[in-house]
Order: sequence, then structure tokens, then C-alpha cells
Amino acid sequence: MAHMLFMLICGTLLGLAAGFIMHRADFCLTAMFRDFFLFRSVFKLQILLLLVISSMFLFELARLAGLIRLYPFPLLVSPSLAAPLGGMLFGIGMVLAGGCVVGSLYKAGAGSVPSMVAIIGMIIGSALFAEIAPWWVSVNRAATLLTGKITLADALDISPSLLAGVVILAALPIFVTIHRREGWSRKVYAEGAMQPWLAALLLALIGLVSVIVIGMPLGITTSYAKAAALAESVVCPFHYESVRFFHTMPLQYTHPLTGIQLRGGPGRELDGVALVQFPLIFGIVAGSTLSAVRLGEFGIRWNAPPRQYVSALAGGVVMGLASRMAAGCNVWHLLGGLPIMALQSMLFLAGLIPGTWLGAKLLTRFVVR
Amino acid sequence: MENVQTIEFDISGQICPSTLLVALREINRNIEGINAGRVQLAFKTDNRDCTSTIPEAASNMGLRVDVQKDDSRYTILVSKA
Repeated sequence: MAHMLFMLICGTLLGLAAGFIMHRADFCLTAMFRDFFLFRSVFKLQILLLLVISSMFLFELARLAGLIRLYPFPLLVSPSLAAPLGGMLFGIGMVLAGGCVVGSLYKAGAGSVPSMVAIIGMIIGSALFAEIAPWWVSVNRAATLLTGKITLADALDISPSLLAGVVILAALPIFVTIHRREGWSRKVYAEGAMQPWLAALLLALIGLVSVIVIGMPLGITTSYAKAAALAESVVCPFHYESVRFFHTMPLQYTHPLTGIQLRGGPGRELDGVALVQFPLIFGIVAGSTLSAVRLGEFGIRWNAPPRQYVSALAGGVVMGLASRMAAGCNVWHLLGGLPIMALQSMLFLAGLIPGTWLGAKLLTRFVVR
Repeated sequence: MENVQTIEFDISGQICPSTLLVALREINRNIEGINAGRVQLAFKTDNRDCTSTIPEAASNMGLRVDVQKDDSRYTILVSKA
């Protein structure tokens, strides 16, 4: 019991910190790709690069120091050529929804009703995935390459340190160039605003603490499937029982700090997934609410045009579906998998980029005119 | 500044990039009036990110930008430099 309490408290604190920081910096991962395509702005992409590379550095340092017992992280899967499709749908969805799975949480926490609608969409999307899961699992299995090889270092059979070292060294000249040219900061006018570069470094630290303390990087999307499972089990229990996806247990690991065995999956039970993810979700929403209230900026904001509500809901549905197709969302893959060069995460990114471009096209054509 | 007409746009509550998209569209639409000093645009928003992105875009167009917070929202005033 004490062990569980420990995990609950850690998850909540990590979430609170992440939500607070994201609200202060308006740290939107969707905007990083989208604004490049919409406005040709690279500023936020540079911030994302800083976040990924600093996470890579911290994760590798911690691994060498023996602080990461589970490596590669639990729930990372063998690369599948179907992952770019998941990434692409995810990209379309997050642009239409106006925020990704985590972004929508902090925006909802500050009172945005369209973001709340997007979250409902994600739950519906997860429920849809449960219906197509058997088909998707077989497609995914057929497209899986290099079974058992999780990271690029695994696949190449070289040391992760060597690979991380090469990538970090390659990124350094880019960072120096950014520093010399336009610099890392931008003019901020919002009260209590945090510079995005600082937010990126702090979020990399939060990711590191999560990996050491929880045993995994930040991830929350299975919980959307859990919400779908709960709703279905209440509305039509017979159908719920027959959907196999809800009875799978993809998470099975020994928590590194306490030694407790954790199992969990997308079903309605309060299991290991709930223990790891629920506190984080609560924390992100509450952290953002706290930040907004302290600035006097909290307010239930619903006055978006109907067109945007439709877009938020549709985007949410597509994102919920896509995050299960790709076995993780953008935060999981970009902030957790990519820094250790997980192949599945690299494939997800390969789909996410054209997906965001497509999403931006759809948004400007049909939603914001 | 007595004869400057202020056109107000309430773009709060909208999903993410629409605030910046609307602002860019309206600045472009009114650019002659702004440059002639006849018009200034006031965008009311609750989106924290666009209190940075709108001023950046407007100053890149050579315009003057003032941001102020009233109650829970921000007003971004775009006028002749």
C-alpha cells in the first residue's frame, strides 16, 4: 500500500509540475510542427529539438550511472512499418483538435471547452480502435520488422552511448548557430510567461525523473482507452465483455524502486496503467488550472465557432484512434522513445510530419477561413 | 491620434492557430488604413501563445504593437509605427 501511495504522489507531482510549466510557456507540441507549415516559423521546432536532445543526454547519462533499470523502457514495441500510418493520422488529428493528448489536457485545465471536447473525441477514438484492434494487430504484426530490436542501437548492435554521442555532437553546431543568430528567447508579453527554452529543459528533467522514479517516460494515452472501457462497460456490458482489446495486459513490469509487480491494460480495472497514468493526468490538468487561477486567467471558455467544435471532436477521434495504432502518442514517442532512438518512435515521427502538413491544409481549408 | 478608428476583434476561446490566422488576415485586410494612421486593430484574446506570435508577426510587418492585460484577457493593439 505504501508503495502505491509513493507512486501516486510521484505521478501527481510530476504531472503538476508539467501542467504548470506547459501553461506558463504555452508549450504546445502541436504548434511546433504546425506553425512551421502554416507560418514557416522554425522557432518552436528549435525548442522541440532542444527538448529531444537534452532528454537524450540526460537519459544516456542516467543509464550509464545505473539509474535506469528498465532499458529500453516498458511498452516500447518492435518497429512496425504500420507506425508511420499511425503517426500520420495522429498529426492530422492533433492539428484539427488544436492540441495533442497532453496539450489538450493543459488547455482544458485552463478552461478551454473545445479542448475538453477534443478529450471526449479521444475517448471515442479509443473505443473505435477497440473494435478494429484484431484487424490492426494482424496488419501490424505482418509489417513488424526486426522483431525484438527496440532501439537503433539494438538494431545496429552498437553501444547506445556511441549513437547518442554522435547525435548530440551533430546537434551542437545547430544549437550554436541558433544561439548566434536569433537566440533562444522570444519577446513575451503574457503575465508570468516562461521562455519556451526553459520549459523544454525543465520538461526534459521531468521526463528523466519519471524514467528513474516511475520506470517509464511520460505516457497517458492508455487511460483514454480505459475511459472508453468504463463507459462501454456501463452502457453495454455484454459488448464490453466481448471486445478482446479491453482484456489485454500490455503493461507488465517490476517497478524499479519498490519492486512491486505492475500489470495493466486498456480495460476498466484500476490496474498498473491506472496507477502510473491517472495521477499524471490529474496532475497536468490541476497544474495548469493552478497556474491559470494564480494569474487570474482561468475561465470556462466556450465561445468558439461551431465549426471549431466539430474540428476539435473529429481531431480528437482521429488522435485517439491513431495513438493506439502507433502504440503511443506524440509525447510518449517524441519525449520518451525518440531520445533513446526507439525505432517505433522514429517511424511514428516519419508519419507525424506529413500528417501535420495535411492537418494544416485541412484546417485552413475547412475550419479557420 | 484623435481620428484613429479602432476596430475590435474578440478572438478569445478559439482553438489554437485561429487567433493568429484571424489576426494576420485582418492586418492584411486593413494594412492601408493602418499605415495611413486612420485605423488601429485591437485583438482581444485569452491565448497566451499568440501574445507573442501576433506582436512578432506585426512588428515584422513594420507595425507598432502594444499588449495589455485587462481582467483575464489580453488586448493586442496593432497600429502605425
